[in-house]
Amino acid sequence: MNDTQIERALGTDEPRVNTDNALARFQARVQTEGIAPVVPIARPRVTSRWLQGLAAAAGVVIVASALTLSGVAESVLKIFEPKTVVAVPITQGDLTYLGQACTGVNLQECLGAYGTFVWTTPPQPKEVNSRSQASAQAGFTALAPTSLPSSVTGDPRYGVINRSTATFTFSADSTRQSAARVNRTAPPMPANIEGSKLFITGGPAVVQIWGAPAGATGATGAYPDVPTLVVGQAKAPTVSSDGITVDELRSYLLSQPGISPQLAAAIRAIGDPSSTLPVPVPAELAVSHPVTVQGVQGLYVGDNTGIASAVIWQKDGMMFEVIGSFNESQALSIANSMR
Amino acid sequence: MLYGCMQASPSMTLPARDPGHVVSAVSPAFEALFRSEYARVVGIAHRVLADQAEAEDVAQDVFVSFYRGHPADAAYGPAWLHAAAAHAALNALRGRDRRSRREAALAVPPDATAAQDDPAETVVASETREEVRAVLARLPERSAAMLALRYAGLSYAEIAAALDVRASSVGTLLRRAEDAFRRELR
Repeated sequence: MNDTQIERALGTDEPRVNTDNALARFQARVQTEGIAPVVPIARPRVTSRWLQGLAAAAGVVIVASALTLSGVAESVLKIFEPKTVVAVPITQGDLTYLGQACTGVNLQECLGAYGTFVWTTPPQPKEVNSRSQASAQAGFTALAPTSLPSSVTGDPRYGVINRSTATFTFSADSTRQSAARVNRTAPPMPANIEGSKLFITGGPAVVQIWGAPAGATGATGAYPDVPTLVVGQAKAPTVSSDGITVDELRSYLLSQPGISPQLAAAIRAIGDPSSTLPVPVPAELAVSHPVTVQGVQGLYVGDNTGIASAVIWQKDGMMFEVIGSFNESQALSIANSMR
Repeated sequence: MLYGCMQASPSMTLPARDPGHVVSAVSPAFEALFRSEYARVVGIAHRVLADQAEAEDVAQDVFVSFYRGHPADAAYGPAWLHAAAAHAALNALRGRDRRSRREAALAVPPDATAAQDDPAETVVASETREEVRAVLARLPERSAAMLALRYAGLSYAEIAAALDVRASSVGTLLRRAEDAFRRELR
């Protein structure tokens, strides 16, 4: 097949649409199904941007990748306190399935695919004026990079997130419904998993952000206000359960529909899930490999397009993460300069 | 983590408090967005699915998702819709079973660019379309989305905004996607 044939095959006839009819159909559906639009929160825009960024960073640092879309990795842990990090490749198929299975895009809605997630002490990020204030409120000394690339300029903004706790309760009904949403059938939930609970704690955490000043529009595309550098530091998260074992959870969750064989194999290959933080890495979009940082083994994750790099490591009971638009050596240099 | 957040709204929003409240009409801002982007969203889905009715179903779902989760006047609205159209159509494509795929392909009217006075070539074109859709379904998501957006007529800048990549990288990424496409066809 040559280029012309490809173009011909992909270039189907331009569809003729009737937008008025389509809009009427949309409005009828909105009314029939009771679909409501989002309502913007009435708060200052600058504050929203900053807190939103801080909350996103908190999602990374406090609950790390343990509570991302998958809802799988963290659930294999009975008593979890990470001492090292490993990459777990997530394929597009995994993301597609999980994206469909979730009822929404946030953490709570996504974990709702498998049960009930409730923040007992929700993370409440707030801005402080200095690193010393951040350290005082977090209860530990917040480290900061002493060497920065020339692309990172200005003073950072400081955020502190309180120690947060959450409870997750497994539900066979939720799991069945989420599988049904994507026309799959979930395997029966073992009786000892149904209703069992995971208790998750994270933080406190300190986040330092460079390059996202009020009104910043430096980034391109649909996602403006992206900082140039984010440095996160948090007490390592912990997960405990009310009795279910790691192996029981791992076997059941990896048998869920939509979990690719590659993801299942990667999760199974984690030798000691009680002390290893699995970091989901989109297999088609990013590269990752172990690196030595601050004298310990950490993980480098880089976006294939060169947009973002991250270095994640654990040392002395603390999780650290450096994220920004850098190459690997720059990201490692920043990470190693943390004092 | 970064990637998991890609569907989230950059602005701070909450679901409406009263799920029982039914709006009588969409806001003027949403209607304007719908009118300006509907044809384009259908066009993107149509490139993937080669079935207009199915493409319009996908477009409806895409607009519902946006309506539920994003402010109508968000600057990123068109880019979000374009990306969502490609991804949703690819999901739909992968969800077809073999039989329905064949039926859909056969139901597609002959391509205007094909030699319609040559029945043999028309059959070849139909088979080619089916093969192309199968290949699209197998490609990595971003590659397939990139091809769908490009062949739907989006500019490099629009593709960059939709897929959140640098505009200067689109040419390279597009070539890689086309190479992957050809490899899959072999």
